[in-house]
Amino acid sequence: MRRRGRGVAWMAYPIGFTSYANPSAAFVKVNQDGSAVVWTGAADVGQGSTTALAQIAADALGIPLDRITMVTSDTLQTPMDLGSVASRVTYIAGNAIMRACAQARQILLEVAADELGIGPEGLECRDGWIMARDLPERRVPLADIARKAETGKGRPPIGAGSYNPPTTFLDPETGHGKPYNAYVYATQIAEVEVDTETGQVEVLRLTAVHDCGRAINPLLVEGQIQGGMAMGMGYALSEEMVVQDGRVLNTTFADYLVPTAMDVPPMDVGLAEVPDPTGPFGAKGVGEPSLLPTAPAIVNAIYDAVGVRLHELPVTAERVLAALRAQSPARQPGRHS
Amino acid sequence: MTTITHPAPPTVIEETPSGAVGRRVPRHDALLQVTGRVVYGDDMHAAGMLWARAVRSPHPHARIAEVDLLPALSSPGVRAIITGRDVPRNRYGFTHQDQPVLAEDCVRHVGEAVAVVAAETLRQAEEAAARVMVRYEPLPAVFDPLEAMRTDAPRLHQDTNVAEHIRIREGDVEAGFAQADAIVEEEFTTGFVEHAHLEPHAGLAIPSPDGAITIYSSVQRPFLVAGDTAKVLAMSQNRVRLIATGVGGGFGGKNEMTFEPWIALLALRTRRPVKIVFTREEEFQATTVRHPYRMRYRTGVRADGTLLARAVEIISDCGAYVSWGASTLAKASIHAAGPYAIPHVKIDGYLVYTNNPVGGAMRGFGVPQVGFAYECHTDAVAEAVTMDPIAFRLRNALRDGGHLPTGQVLERVTLAETLRQALEMAEWRREGRAS
Repeated sequence: MRRRGRGVAWMAYPIGFTSYANPSAAFVKVNQDGSAVVWTGAADVGQGSTTALAQIAADALGIPLDRITMVTSDTLQTPMDLGSVASRVTYIAGNAIMRACAQARQILLEVAADELGIGPEGLECRDGWIMARDLPERRVPLADIARKAETGKGRPPIGAGSYNPPTTFLDPETGHGKPYNAYVYATQIAEVEVDTETGQVEVLRLTAVHDCGRAINPLLVEGQIQGGMAMGMGYALSEEMVVQDGRVLNTTFADYLVPTAMDVPPMDVGLAEVPDPTGPFGAKGVGEPSLLPTAPAIVNAIYDAVGVRLHELPVTAERVLAALRAQSPARQPGRHS
Repeated sequence: MTTITHPAPPTVIEETPSGAVGRRVPRHDALLQVTGRVVYGDDMHAAGMLWARAVRSPHPHARIAEVDLLPALSSPGVRAIITGRDVPRNRYGFTHQDQPVLAEDCVRHVGEAVAVVAAETLRQAEEAAARVMVRYEPLPAVFDPLEAMRTDAPRLHQDTNVAEHIRIREGDVEAGFAQADAIVEEEFTTGFVEHAHLEPHAGLAIPSPDGAITIYSSVQRPFLVAGDTAKVLAMSQNRVRLIATGVGGGFGGKNEMTFEPWIALLALRTRRPVKIVFTREEEFQATTVRHPYRMRYRTGVRADGTLLARAVEIISDCGAYVSWGASTLAKASIHAAGPYAIPHVKIDGYLVYTNNPVGGAMRGFGVPQVGFAYECHTDAVAEAVTMDPIAFRLRNALRDGGHLPTGQVLERVTLAETLRQALEMAEWRREGRAS
């Protein structure tokens, strides 16, 4: 018999390292033609952080995205970065880029102030223009100002910045402290079908809603969440290294089962964006949180379907079947029925 | 030589009249990715390059009695072989400097590297690696962290296998249990998990005539890896350049130095570029994994569904070296009680050395283990007081101004909002299971 069930799980997760300083730094220059180059040590590991960081730089400088070039992750050429880990790149490297861009922008605004006869505090950079905040028609091409800054005033518009989230270490006896500067939140829901004769679990649908602060690039955020849920599914149901006397017995993808496109169900992803005042344009992060609630949501859904609580990951068909056989026959499955 | 500079976002990106932030822009290298033009670690080549291959321990715990390189050195195509003795400062680690770059006196897990061979071809490197004669004297080993915690267990490093004990205390947990109408106890277990990034660890070291080195490597943390490599090689950091190639998945598996000092040493010694690519077997056996956790949860709750007390004990199987084990356990412990307002909390996390594969960083850094436990436990506790699990969550959720057991106050807590939206999207109705 196949029985369906649904389960919910949520989480709170921090951005950045636990207590340890974990700064990122960035350099930026605006070229004479109004294009710009950003140097960041952050490595794009497939999640698309270079694109998100370029989007941050574009709006921080008021320069169109297609005129930003990113130079990344070269220890001789780029400033330091603590790495693409701990869901930290958008928040920390993004903040470093904001600060570097603010320096370069300040030079541009000061040069433009002479030109427009308005103080730098009354000006802003947007879409390749420098304009009066209150009077957008009073404007001058950013490229003209960049050229003038460098060749006329001798003040090349460059910037350097770094950011380190303020944290404290934990008291060794009580564990009290403030080890992080930002938190994100999420809920995921799994719908499963369990075959009571084989113990096989099929995930029918996954739903996720994440608050990652402002989503710099919703497309990439959704991609992260989809990938994370697939990884969480593997964690829940199939990925298990068989280790005997320290030796791994399954060392190929033929017998260590990562979910494939054949296994992954429809996924619905929603964003509950609440901007964080400490993040670049309100952004936080999503990398690790994306897989956190998936496994418990699936295991709770299995309980909802067949009334057995599983306490060991992964919940393989063998474990489900063993639990079903150990179940008291009087037990009626389903909480929500 | 390919220079890895990341190109400007391709021109397919539409004009951005109203700013770039918040827009669904395709990733900068989307076109390169789908046309197979991203340069990954294994795509790196250089003229005259050698191939490196590690000699790895078949034993979980053994004394290295003797290493005889002579048969391997006379193997065809071999240009150099290094062992731990060739590494100037053969020890590293983030919180605990307990790990050698190459094992010298003792191996502590299956797959630990003892020597590395560089030869003209990959096949020759593999053949020579098989001819490195290492005489091991097996030592008693321990694979169960609970056994490893006993005083009579074989020890891996010093006088105890407990590498770390993390404590978090909030309120008076026994007083909390005393007030409870129901107490729910459960034990949860999670296993070893491999990152399973499709691209294995791979890279290339290129020596400069002046003795500096450039390393291309598929890593998540180029600066940490370059810094550690300089440190163990006793080189000045400005002479060790690391350039991250395209990274074909990392998930925490490429968070630390692995082969970089090996190929750097071999390249400097042979004055030839040296390339290495780990096999899938090496990825499973020799690189880091997600720590297996055993977690005991005990929760006291009032009949009306109010959480009063929670005690959690976590035992993390660290494997043979700490690597990121202490930091992951800290993050796990801080979050082990879940996002709930619980007045009385006691959390104890133990990190225990065993002769198992080394645990490291993996996406979620200890929290997926406790997240599985606390959210399944939440449903069980709700059931104990016959409450709907969703209503139970909402009743006990942390809210703005609430705090974790560390005392850290949270703001802009959107748990309830994410739940509300998710329930709506999943068309969740109280009346029924979907069947």
